[in-house]
Amino acid sequence: MIKYHPSEHILQSYVQGELCASLSVAVSMHVAMCPQCQHLTCQYEASCAQSFAGENLDLHGDENWDELIAQITEDTMLAEIAAPAPLEIEIKGEQFLLPSSLQNVGLSGWLKLGKLSRSRLNLGDGKLHASLLHIEKGGSVPQHTHRGFELTLLLSGTFKDEMDSYVPGDFIMLDGSHEHSPVATESCLCFTLADDALHFSQGLSQLFNPIGKLIY
Amino acid sequence: MIEKSRQQSTETPQGSVMKDVAATQTSEQRLLSAEQQAQLCDWMHRIANHRDRKAFACLFKWFAPKVLHLGRQRFGDASQAQELLQESMANVWRKAHLFNAEKGAVTTWIYTLVRNQSFDMLRKMQTNREDNLSEDIWQQHSNERDDSAEFSDHLLDRQLVEYVEKLPEEQKNVVKGIYFQELSQEELANQLGIPLGTVKSRLRLALGKLKAHMGEHHD
Ligand SMILES: [Zn+2]
Repeated sequence: MIKYHPSEHILQSYVQGELCASLSVAVSMHVAMCPQCQHLTCQYEASCAQSFAGENLDLHGDENWDELIAQITEDTMLAEIAAPAPLEIEIKGEQFLLPSSLQNVGLSGWLKLGKLSRSRLNLGDGKLHASLLHIEKGGSVPQHTHRGFELTLLLSGTFKDEMDSYVPGDFIMLDGSHEHSPVATESCLCFTLADDALHFSQGLSQLFNPIGKLIY
Repeated sequence: MIEKSRQQSTETPQGSVMKDVAATQTSEQRLLSAEQQAQLCDWMHRIANHRDRKAFACLFKWFAPKVLHLGRQRFGDASQAQELLQESMANVWRKAHLFNAEKGAVTTWIYTLVRNQSFDMLRKMQTNREDNLSEDIWQQHSNERDDSAEFSDHLLDRQLVEYVEKLPEEQKNVVKGIYFQELSQEELANQLGIPLGTVKSRLRLALGKLKAHMGEHHD
């Protein structure tokens, strides 16, 4: 059972097209896995559409649209539904089908650090870093806090941290007040999004600080 | 920088967002009457099924001020708003056949096309990317509303309907009467004023052709 969902505020902004691409992609993947948020999304869309269509505006009577309308209707092509081809990736001998929201997003090569591997997603959202993170069974990310925020969307497998254990679809948003070290209970694939390098906080792990930049 | 829009909304406690949306429905906003909704549906069907340009012109003029209003709010700029209008309405024209009245209102469908277009435009303005990600982000989610089996049935139905139209007149009337109007063979014989045996033989001929046709497609 998925327990962690995007906040209502995030879901609303998603429906209105106001989130950046990285976060939109994340919400879209969650919604694909979560019937509850699918339902909410439909409700929000209907409600936003009602405000949009109910806007009682002066009809710009002098505005002449005929030329534009003629230009648009000259086009005789019909748009086709492109069935998304599932994108398959292989990492450490395991195959994963990527969600269709990622089908046209470029992936960098995999950077491997022990049981961790990560590949950057080329979404171009400035300081926001979106990645796929693969953790082999038993692997963990050293204890760290977040200066900004970190979003983890579990796509496949399971992991746990000091707070809970997580299943695919869980949308885990953490900010600077949280400190955690996730451990993969079985090998797992996550989508991660962070707006700042992690800050590792514990003993020897501080040595890992430079790799925070690499992982997230 | 999570929020992308220039109209940044402030974080609200859980639960208040929908109330905010409701609260913005002030006196300038009203719910559409049943008549208006039926009118929009009628225009959409005429566009989808007959590529009716007059119906499109009506739909365009009905939505134009609303799209421009949304565009000016989001971009703070009249020429961007104009581009939003042009591109969204071109998509309405090209995608009209994909609209499914059973899945939601015309206004919701058009709102999502406008939303997608404005997302792509904002992305282009802010990151210089023209990858039109909105299709991937929201397409998937509109597919979910019909499960894929039902979806392919629709396609199959559409192909069948197209082929039925190509049958000889007499066979077409029999197939339509029985499968689309769900008349019994006896009722149909009465209605067409022909013997029951003739209904049966026309039906056999027609079904043979349809099967052969659909078979070809599925090999
Ligand atoms: Zn959810």
